[in-house]
Amino acid sequence: MKISLDWIREYVAVDLSPQELVDRLTMIGLVPETVEDKGGDLILDLETYANRPDTLGHLGVAREIGAMLARPLLERDWPVAELGEATADIADVQITAEALCPRYCGLVVRGVKVGPSPDWLVRRLEAMGLRPVNNVVDVSNYVLFATGQPIHTFDFGRIGGGRIVVRKAKRGETLVDLDGRTLELAPDMLVIADESRPVALAGVIGGQASGITASTRDVFIESANFDPVGIRKTAKTLGLQTDAAYRFERGADIGFAPKAAVMAASLLTAMGGQASRGLIDRFPKPPKPRTVRLRLRRIAELLGVAVPEDFVVEVLGRLGFRLEASHHGAWRVEVPAFRVDISREADLIEEVARFYGYDRIPSVVTPVDSFAPAANRKLDRLARIRGTLLGQGLDEVINWSFADPEREAAAANGKTPVDIQNPISTRASVLRTTLLTGLLENAAWNLNRGLDGLHVFETGNVFHWIEDGKHCEDLHLGLLSTGLLPAAGLGTAAAETDFSVIKGAVEAVLEALRYDPAGFEPRDHPSFEPGRALAVLYKGQEIGTLGQLRRDFAAVASVDRAVYAAEIDLAALFEKTPRPFQYAPVPKLPGVVRDLSFLVDTSHAYGEVAQALGRLNQPLLEGFELVDRFTGKSVPEGRVSLTVRLRFRHPQRTLVAEEVDRVVQEVVGQLRSALDIQLREGSIDSRA
Amino acid sequence: MANLKERIDAVRKEFDEAARRAADAKSLEELRTAYLGRKRGHVTLLFEDLKSVPAEEKREAGRLVNELKQSVTVRLDAIEGQLSSVPPAVSAAGTDLTLPGRKRYVGRPHPLTLFEEEIERIFLGMGFSIEEGPEIETDYYNFEALNFPPHHPARDKWDTLFIKGDLLLRTHTSPVQVRVMERSKPPIRIICPGRVFRRETPDPTHLPMFMQVEGLVIDEGVTFAHLKGTLEYFLRALFGEKIKVRFRPSFFPFTEPSAEVDIECLVCSGKDPACRVCGGTGWKEILGSGMVDPQVLKNVNIDPEKYSGWAFGLGIDRTAMFAYGIPEMRYFYENDLRFLRQFGTK
Repeated sequence: MKISLDWIREYVAVDLSPQELVDRLTMIGLVPETVEDKGGDLILDLETYANRPDTLGHLGVAREIGAMLARPLLERDWPVAELGEATADIADVQITAEALCPRYCGLVVRGVKVGPSPDWLVRRLEAMGLRPVNNVVDVSNYVLFATGQPIHTFDFGRIGGGRIVVRKAKRGETLVDLDGRTLELAPDMLVIADESRPVALAGVIGGQASGITASTRDVFIESANFDPVGIRKTAKTLGLQTDAAYRFERGADIGFAPKAAVMAASLLTAMGGQASRGLIDRFPKPPKPRTVRLRLRRIAELLGVAVPEDFVVEVLGRLGFRLEASHHGAWRVEVPAFRVDISREADLIEEVARFYGYDRIPSVVTPVDSFAPAANRKLDRLARIRGTLLGQGLDEVINWSFADPEREAAAANGKTPVDIQNPISTRASVLRTTLLTGLLENAAWNLNRGLDGLHVFETGNVFHWIEDGKHCEDLHLGLLSTGLLPAAGLGTAAAETDFSVIKGAVEAVLEALRYDPAGFEPRDHPSFEPGRALAVLYKGQEIGTLGQLRRDFAAVASVDRAVYAAEIDLAALFEKTPRPFQYAPVPKLPGVVRDLSFLVDTSHAYGEVAQALGRLNQPLLEGFELVDRFTGKSVPEGRVSLTVRLRFRHPQRTLVAEEVDRVVQEVVGQLRSALDIQLREGSIDSRA
Repeated sequence: MANLKERIDAVRKEFDEAARRAADAKSLEELRTAYLGRKRGHVTLLFEDLKSVPAEEKREAGRLVNELKQSVTVRLDAIEGQLSSVPPAVSAAGTDLTLPGRKRYVGRPHPLTLFEEEIERIFLGMGFSIEEGPEIETDYYNFEALNFPPHHPARDKWDTLFIKGDLLLRTHTSPVQVRVMERSKPPIRIICPGRVFRRETPDPTHLPMFMQVEGLVIDEGVTFAHLKGTLEYFLRALFGEKIKVRFRPSFFPFTEPSAEVDIECLVCSGKDPACRVCGGTGWKEILGSGMVDPQVLKNVNIDPEKYSGWAFGLGIDRTAMFAYGIPEMRYFYENDLRFLRQFGTK
């Protein structure tokens, strides 16, 4: 809301320097967003709030300044040159939709000479950034910016039958507005009509046919009050934003309607015309004044400072409240109609606080004695996942929750995306069903900018519709690796990433959270290359997929390198119980190690070997790991050479070589019968 | 005998001096040959000389020469031990110690995660717990329970992306506050970080998605003075002990009284009338706050006569932009590694 300091001074004496004025307005919550010197006048553009329509006019702002400076509001008379004719004899006002129009005032000014406005009026409107139109239109704008009360002026000669009917629009009715647009009216919209047709969209905009023209002689001044919700719905439906609607939808001062009509009549008659005698004022159900109880004790309880009683009385009085002491330290406060925001004690306490000064309220740190933060298992786990993956050399990214439906479809995961009714753009019109599309975008962005590799992860929610209009919102972990891996230093060549990088990262995460042992089973997934994907399982339930992304899926994001990725459903995983943690004593006795080298058919995956080893019932076999794997000249076609390190230990005594050798022979025998392995020469290497 | 004794002393003296200079394996080996060499070693030669010593003195002379041999051997072994425990510096290209070290690449957290953790750490220290809630919300939790009447213009500031029916993308994390108040009794002391969504046309400081953290305290006897004290403490912990903080009146439907909190402009300190960050006012709006509106408490069945509370909300992105001097919010979501990797350190 723009205000002119010059104009404000019509209502209250202000003698602050511009900087002081800006600072002090800021500290009562009327922040000047811009300050401009316009021909000696100071124009302030104030930030106003949706609950304070009273500050949408100079009078209301002046009232605030008066309370701030402890100065009275200056009164001004609005004399009207009157005709002998009574308004009621020439015009008739009828309200048929009282809920939408609780008050309607009007009068007629005859003999108006439509023409340019006087200089003082032009100056006022130009200060508001308005272009003067003619004296009649300018007067209605003047009243609006002076008082916050929108008024409307009709060419009375074009009001059929001199009848004003405030009613709901009829189905199929239209109105050509002042800007020449044809508005299709709906039955829940309130219109001002004459005896036969709508002449204005109530509280929003006037009609062209009844507008002021150069030939207008008689003017009907409307000063009414409309239901805020009705105005807002109508303005939203028709996409109209007008100064009048802006004020009515926030709530105009129902008590001020007649005064604004008189003010407009006074200004118009000062320029030539004469007003009809007496105001039509249809006000079928005047609301009772709101009263609120205010307790001095409560002010201290809420603000943490004892505000002096006389300060409370002084400030609220200047703001237009009427205080009546009910008993000691409490008042019955009557709220003026223009303060639509005040209905509870807390609202009044805010008024006291604003003018007392937030800077004078002490600062006290909330005591912490009785508090310990509640544990948050999920966030602890997420932090552990992040730490693990950063340690694996992956960078963290954060992508949009929005997705492009076409790119989302390329993931082909069969999930129905949740669509946004009013998206910013079609390329962000659904919510992501997977983290993979975002990660692919990151790959494209960085590879296109000259980076030679990208190894990243993200944790975030994905969404999709499930049946009967219900939706899912699940926390996922996404990982992606493509291009060169960072080199570790001189002499370590940067290598192209591969499947094992992503698998290792997933294993590291699951181990860090004790979700191990996890299962990995070859299983095709529509986002991944056939035969190049593993289902990740924990306790038999599939909780994710990892592998090489389908090339045509990556190509949609313009990535034409091999891309390895994984997506884990953390929501599902976190519902599972991790392996319980149990301390195991550190072994006191030395163990024995044997490296077993053998050939096995390539049709047997290592997983089968590991499974076979895992199934062995050998109490002395503490564990095993794969230490070498190769094929080549020395290995027959169709076979692969594996070296598995077997670790043996007895809990109570030192092992002797012979018993270990015996166990190794048993292991070899069992592997032979299970997988037809063939020992290589010098195949058992003891490394005791 | 006297002659031999002098020669023994002389050899010992020479050896001591030479041993002090032996700095590497090569000079050590030379020293060993020079003194203990099987044919021409100085100590070996002394054994030869023993032959010419009279028989009655032989025993004593032999003891002295043996003693010398023993001490030379011990000393040489000691030097060898020292040399081998400090191997010569060797790296990929020899002995150039100025070559870069070998290190494994460690990933970097996203700057918004870092900044969020920084904020969380401060509040956790004050006994706050972290709470979360859904990103797809209902109109009730996002608006109505927070005292936004239907069709109220106050909703305009929280321009909303709608899903279907009364489902929408939450415009703030306040619904988490409502859900926590519904299911728990005071005292309550929480912060709620998370993604929020608004139908904003993208510009340098506005995006349709950003990160927010809100906080809520409900207890008996909680006042505006607590709001001020706690938020001042927080902002000083985040921006430094000396930062100036200002509270000024504002409006939010869910708080009463409401306060906007400004901190002094770190970019120009109010000295640049054309400052892009503060517009020359010297103040930068950093968070919104206020005493929880009594209607909000009633909506979750908390008696506003008995309990009071305060709440705040802060945009993590914009605060991080301000703290790091980042001009464009979208940089956070482009995920350009050259940008992201700048932030992993402290």
